[in-house]
Amino acid sequence: MEIVVCVKPVPEPDTRLRASANGTGLDPEGVKFVLAGYDESAVEQALLLKESLPGSKVHAVSVGPAPRAEEVLRAAIALGCDLATWVEAPAEVGSEPIAAARAIAPALRTIPHALVLCGKQAGDDESGLFSGALGEWLGEPDFGYVIDLRWDAASARFRFQRASEAGLERWECPPPCVIALQQAWNDPRTAKLPAILRSRKAPIARVAAGSPTGDAPRSVAETFELPAPRTGARMIEYATPEEAAQRLVKILREEAKVFP
Amino acid sequence: MSRHVLVVGEVQSGHLVGASREAVGVARALGGGSAVGFLGGAASRPAAEEFARLGIGLTLLRDDGALEAAAPAVVARAAKLGAEQAGASVVVLGGTTFGRDLAGRLAAAWDAAAATGVTEVAAVDGGLRVRRPVFGGRATETRRLEGARQVVALRPHAFPLPADAPVAGTVEVLAADGRALPSSGQRTGIDAVAAGAGPSLTDAAIVVSGGRGLKDPQSFRLVEELAAALGAAVGASRAVTDAGWRPSSFQVGQTGRSVSPQLYIAVGISGAIQHLVGMVSSRVIVAINNDASAPIFRVADYGIAGDLFQIVPALTAEVRRVRGLG
Repeated sequence: MEIVVCVKPVPEPDTRLRASANGTGLDPEGVKFVLAGYDESAVEQALLLKESLPGSKVHAVSVGPAPRAEEVLRAAIALGCDLATWVEAPAEVGSEPIAAARAIAPALRTIPHALVLCGKQAGDDESGLFSGALGEWLGEPDFGYVIDLRWDAASARFRFQRASEAGLERWECPPPCVIALQQAWNDPRTAKLPAILRSRKAPIARVAAGSPTGDAPRSVAETFELPAPRTGARMIEYATPEEAAQRLVKILREEAKVFP
Repeated sequence: MSRHVLVVGEVQSGHLVGASREAVGVARALGGGSAVGFLGGAASRPAAEEFARLGIGLTLLRDDGALEAAAPAVVARAAKLGAEQAGASVVVLGGTTFGRDLAGRLAAAWDAAAATGVTEVAAVDGGLRVRRPVFGGRATETRRLEGARQVVALRPHAFPLPADAPVAGTVEVLAADGRALPSSGQRTGIDAVAAGAGPSLTDAAIVVSGGRGLKDPQSFRLVEELAAALGAAVGASRAVTDAGWRPSSFQVGQTGRSVSPQLYIAVGISGAIQHLVGMVSSRVIVAINNDASAPIFRVADYGIAGDLFQIVPALTAEVRRVRGLG
C-alpha cells in the first residue's frame, strides 16, 4: 500500500509565546519547530499500516519554508518514512491550513496513494481545516477525528471510528481517501539515534507550491494577543466541608452566575 | 453591514443540537432577516421547525436519508448547493465534530476563506473579521477572511443561545438530489459512549472532571454524582484514562478533547499543561485539590484546598439541595 503522510512543522509545545514585531503572529525568533503532535500520530499510523502490509511505502510530505519543513521531513524519515517531498512555500502558506492544502494538492496528485494521513489539527492554529480542503482538491473523501484505523483486505476498505458528540461512529471507506487522526491513541514511537543520523543525508524531493489564482479567498492574520497572566484562584476559606460547599455554590450562583 | 448568511444545522435524534442554535444566533446577528437555514436528512423536519421558530426566515430541508450517514464530502456538496440557492456569502457552522469536519471541505468546494473555533465574528469591508483562540488557548488571534465567501465554525458556548423569534420562518422541502459522490464512504453505526444519560463533553455547559487525586476507579463515582446533580458532562485527566478507569473518550486535554464550558470543575487534577490546554478557555474554572500548591489553582478562578473525599460529597449534597433535587 502506498501511503502519504502530511506533516506540519509547529513550535515546540512548551515554546514561550511572544508576538512578532508587527503584532500579527508568533515571533519565530529562537523558536524550535517540530513535528506537530497529531502528525506524530499520523506517522505512527502510516508506519503501523506499512508494517502490517508487506511491500508498502510511506511518503512524507510537508509544505513551508526552509529550514523548518525540511527538518520535520527528516524527523519523519528518522521515524521510518521511506520517501519525502518538500513543497517549498513561504511560512504564511505553510501555517494557514487552506493555503497549505492548496499548495500541497498538486504534488499529491503526482504521488500514487491509497491513503493520505495527517493530524486532525496542529497545535499552533488548531484549525482542523487542512484535511477537508485537501480531500476536496484531490477529489477524494475525507474524514476527521478518526481513531482506530484499519485496512480490511477482504472488503478492500478502510474501517475506522470517529469520535463525535453522538458517540463512537463506525465508518468504512474504499481507497483512496484522506484521513485526519484524532489523537495520540496509538502511542507514537520515538526515533533511534542511528536512524536520526541516517535521515540527515536522506534525499528530499523539492517541488514548487501550487499557487492560488489572483482572486482566491484569503485568511489574513491581523493580531496575535497573549492573555494577561492569570492571577490565581480565589481560595475559599472554610471550617467544614459543608461550609466550603455552601460558599462555593453561593459564589457560582450570585457572583459567577454559572449555576444551572 | 448585512450579509446573506446560511446556517448548516446538525441534527441529533430529530432535533437541532445546541451548537447549531448558537450558530443561528450568529447568523441572525450577521444576516439580519436574511438568514437561511440548511438541513439534510429524512428525519430533520422537527429540526427545521426549530430553525423556523428561532427566526430563520427560510429553512431549506434536503429530504435525503443518504445525508444522515454521509461523509463530509457529501454533506459539503449538499451544503454548497444550499448556499448557492440561498445566495449566501457566509456559512455559519456549530463547533462540533460535524461542523469542524465540514468547514475545510466546504471552504474548498465553495471557494471560501474559513476559520474554526471562532469566539467573535463581525462583518467588515470585504469580508469577515474573526477572533479565535490558538496554541491551546495560550494566545488569541484575529484574522480577516477576505474574498466573496466565508465559512466560520464557532467555538462551543462562545455565543449565547438565541430566543425564539416573534415571527416564525418558513420551511422549504427539497427532494433528494441523489448526487452523492461514488465510493465516498459511509457510516455503518454509532456506539454510544458509556457516559450515561448526561450531555456530551463538548456540548455541555458544565463539565466536572476527575483526576489522579481520586486514587482509585471506584471513587470516580464522586465526580459522576456531582456531575449528575449539576446536569454536567463528565471528563477525566489523562492519568485517569491511561490507567483505564474511564475510556479515552472522557479525556480532556491536548491528546483528548478541548472543552470550553461555562463552568469547569476539576476534581483531584493537579493541572499538567497537557490537561490545561484542553480546558483553560472555560469561562469559570473551579479546582478542588488537597495540594494547595497544585498548578491547577494558578488557572482556576475559585479554589478549594482540602480533602476531596469530604468536599465533593458535601458539594453534591448542597447542589442537590439548592436545585431542589432532595
